[in-house]
Amino acid sequence: MNGGCDSMSETGGGTAAQPGDFRQADRGTREAALARVFVRLADTLASDFDIVDFLHGLSADAVEVLGADAAGVMLADARGGLRLIASSDERTRLLELFELQGAEGPCLDAFSTGRPLQANAENSSIRWPVFAQRSSDSGFQMMCAVPLRVRTNVIGAMNLFRATDEPFTDDEMDIAQAMAEMAAIGLIQEKALREQSLLTEQLQAALNSRVIIEQAKGMLAEYLKVTMDDAFKLLRAYARDHNRKLSDVARDVADRKVTSTALIT
Amino acid sequence: MRDGGRRARILAAVIQQDTAAGAGELIAGICRFAVDEMALSGCALVLMSGAESAGMLAGAGRHASTVTGLQMDLGEGPCLQAYASGVPVLLPDLAAETANRWPAFAAAALAAGVHAEFSLPLTAGRGGIGTFDLCRDRPGMLSDEHLADALIAADIARDAVLYQQCVPGGRSLAELLDTGDTDRIVVHQATGMIAAQLNETTSNALARLRAAAFASGRPMYDIAQDVVERRVRFDE
Repeated sequence: MNGGCDSMSETGGGTAAQPGDFRQADRGTREAALARVFVRLADTLASDFDIVDFLHGLSADAVEVLGADAAGVMLADARGGLRLIASSDERTRLLELFELQGAEGPCLDAFSTGRPLQANAENSSIRWPVFAQRSSDSGFQMMCAVPLRVRTNVIGAMNLFRATDEPFTDDEMDIAQAMAEMAAIGLIQEKALREQSLLTEQLQAALNSRVIIEQAKGMLAEYLKVTMDDAFKLLRAYARDHNRKLSDVARDVADRKVTSTALIT
Repeated sequence: MRDGGRRARILAAVIQQDTAAGAGELIAGICRFAVDEMALSGCALVLMSGAESAGMLAGAGRHASTVTGLQMDLGEGPCLQAYASGVPVLLPDLAAETANRWPAFAAAALAAGVHAEFSLPLTAGRGGIGTFDLCRDRPGMLSDEHLADALIAADIARDAVLYQQCVPGGRSLAELLDTGDTDRIVVHQATGMIAAQLNETTSNALARLRAAAFASGRPMYDIAQDVVERRVRFDE
């Protein structure tokens, strides 16, 4: 990452502070906090992963590590529109919802361009007049947004707000972008994992039902003294008559919740 | 991307064997590729959902179904371990101490002419869907190259199985399993009949069938066939 801000930062509100601005003590604390954040962001493989908790954690971490006053995270939905998923407090939630409703603001631009940006009160009022008024009313003067992006795949964006007019430094923008990218990688991995887990469950259900149907046929063949073919026909007829799945009926027969005589009456 | 190259090379070799490849044919091709490339006596892709429900989706070599069949008959073995743990189980010499974890399996496999067995889990999502099993009629470890190929081949097979699940109108896995795996169907049917005869659960019935096979030294399939054809009862 190398700054990477678009024209907004160059037109005035920009990154006046230099990378060397961190005091040594701040740098140490920040690095420790960052290390914690990255460990947590890498933890999307945990079995109890929850996407909303995860993104609330991201916005809280971003506020802490980057010295912001508020943050919000939006993700693209299935139709490509953004939805607000997490925000650091109620005031920001309303502001972000307003951004979505008004269809203008830093998050939307970071999402559509795939590039980080920042703006102070003055240039935000030029670029997003309605949103800038609202954010000023909420007490924010400085804002930036970074895309949640893996290579060219942009899946959302994160907004950060400051009550002061102190710009985000190049370092801070880089860190914000790195956090957003880590989160994006985690979310994409988690999605792939969830889809595979679903397929695995379906496959195992198919394997199990195949076994259980054969076992149920065997039980009926024994109890009712019929052939395997006839046993299967009885199972299928019962499932159809009761509007149930064949494998569910077979399981009930194997567990003796449905008696063999019930199938011939 | 060394493994990317490996994947491409294996896919090219498999697809060359069979141009009209659906998932079933692709997986059969992968098994044939493994047998030829690694001088195996058997290779099989087994789908599992626990010890009782497993089915061989495809296999190649004269020992293709030997290892799977033994494990289902005995209820123990390296494939079940690989499936449950998600970690490969490599047994370069079934006559050695390390195979003593599965004494019945090792003895039966040796008797059938299998001396080395390598079982690679097919992991997907948070669980597994089965194993990719390789065996040889002589002891000895797979070379590093062959092991790396086998792991990639297992990944390709796993992807093909999962992909098959997503294709609308494709042949279902149950159909694919049924064409390659009629022996197990008879065992499941016999299990149901024994459960009815003994008024027992199906898992206890399977245990009884397994024990009868072990005690008599006959294959489980043979006894199951006798049960299904009503020549043998378990309540007499």
